[in-house]
Amino acid sequence: MIEVVGLTKRFGATLAVDDLSFSVEPGRITGFLGPNGAGKSTTMRAILGLVRPTSGGTSVLGVQYRELQEPVRRVGVLLETFDAHPGRSGRNHLRVLAVAGGIPKSRVDEVLSLVDLGAAGRRRVKGYSLGMRQRLGLAAALLGDPEVLVLDEPANGLDPQGIRWLRDFLRSLAAEGRTILISSHVLSEVAQTVDDVVIVHRGRLITHAAMSEVEAMAAASTTVRSPTADRLATLLADQGVDVATIADGRLAVVAPPERVGELAAANGIVLHELSVERASLEEVFLELTGDPGERGA
Amino acid sequence: MTRLFAAELVKLRTLRSTWGFLLVALLFGGLVAAGNIGGSSESDRLDPELQFRIVLDAAFPGSILALLLGIILVTNEFRHGTIARTLLASPRRPRFVGVKLFTGGVTGVLLMAAMIVVIAVTAVIWLGVLDVPLEAGEAADATWRALLVASLAGVLGAGIGGAVHSQVGALVGALLWMFVLEPICWVILGLLDLDGVSEYFPAAALGGTVDTSDEGLSWARSVAVALAWTGVAAVLAVLRTSRRDIT
Repeated sequence: MIEVVGLTKRFGATLAVDDLSFSVEPGRITGFLGPNGAGKSTTMRAILGLVRPTSGGTSVLGVQYRELQEPVRRVGVLLETFDAHPGRSGRNHLRVLAVAGGIPKSRVDEVLSLVDLGAAGRRRVKGYSLGMRQRLGLAAALLGDPEVLVLDEPANGLDPQGIRWLRDFLRSLAAEGRTILISSHVLSEVAQTVDDVVIVHRGRLITHAAMSEVEAMAAASTTVRSPTADRLATLLADQGVDVATIADGRLAVVAPPERVGELAAANGIVLHELSVERASLEEVFLELTGDPGERGA
Repeated sequence: MTRLFAAELVKLRTLRSTWGFLLVALLFGGLVAAGNIGGSSESDRLDPELQFRIVLDAAFPGSILALLLGIILVTNEFRHGTIARTLLASPRRPRFVGVKLFTGGVTGVLLMAAMIVVIAVTAVIWLGVLDVPLEAGEAADATWRALLVASLAGVLGAGIGGAVHSQVGALVGALLWMFVLEPICWVILGLLDLDGVSEYFPAAALGGTVDTSDEGLSWARSVAVALAWTGVAAVLAVLRTSRRDIT
């Protein structure tokens, strides 16, 4: 269980997180989403005791992170910034963490094999590719076989097979009752993985909902083309349906195609096209997190 | 605490820079021994004072190395971004600083011990060939003084690293203070007839812990002043590290 209550964090004049509250339940994977600079990493670091809140607070397993006994064994963490010394081998990096956490050395080789880094474990980290570094970070997170996982952009640098492996692995961990929080700035990237989503923008909570609810927000609209589009538009508007003219003879209608087709048939209107247009998850995400012009930065 | 200290030792063992420091310490040990024995007249070599002086001469470079390694122990964490992972394993920051200070002291002792081993081996062989009797008592007295100053320098270095965080800033600042600013202060205070004040400065106090002359602060007072400086550095390290956001 992770709880964030009224968390606010300022860096000088910059408000990074603004009165943010949400909770992450055991046995579920929660996606923590927002555009770059939305405050995701700052919030995660506040949860982990790396950043001091300006106000509000966070807890992991019922206590502040710094009060946790055996934190390496209880909370597995992957941070967005790489945190291994470049001059140390991947295996030695994990050995340091294992010794600090009182974890048997045999576990080091286990997690290296798990993330497919067994052969590269003795190589110095500065020679690792981005994907290998990400795998090493995941190995570090899994080292203590923790009951809580906090993973910042875990899919960064992974190839498609790696992303699929990660998805299946996280699902199996959640099925064991573990609490998992993963951040991403791409909703579609985590849509197949997460049960719940927390969407933030400019440090504020936009929505906290089940993934199924967000998918439902990708409401369907119907595109219809007719030689008498104006008449059809009038009929639809009379019935309280939102309708907009896309182009000459083409309408976008916020209603199921069945309803549009039946209305057209009942009034003897010829249709040349009747198709469903569904907003993508990314469009929903962009809709929730602001206007398109802001997101280029 | 024991696990965190053990983890610090694994960190040190698994980095080439640590072995580089050890190599430099061994080289200094050999040079100090060779310089003292080779550069002494035949009558000086028979003087037990020489065996005492060889070890004490190693204390200066040894304590500088201990200070620098102590600084690097902490600032490496910030330079390479490993601090986040370290604090995740040791989230109580005063404890993290405490472990670093302790590690700084221990590594200082180990570096100095390595130097003294090289000096002892060199002296035993060289003086043995010259049939000069070895005075274990003289060497032992110098050895514990040298180990003490190295441990204090290691702790001070870790404290400076914890207070400054920037590796370049801490290394340059510490060396600049010891070799430029503090000597300038000594001169200025001397001109003002305030020589006594300069003996309370950090480098002077550390030097006083191995000084056997009757001038300046007593040995006990030098140790107390050096301890006070390490304490100041430790407190600053705790305050700075506890307040810093790791972003």
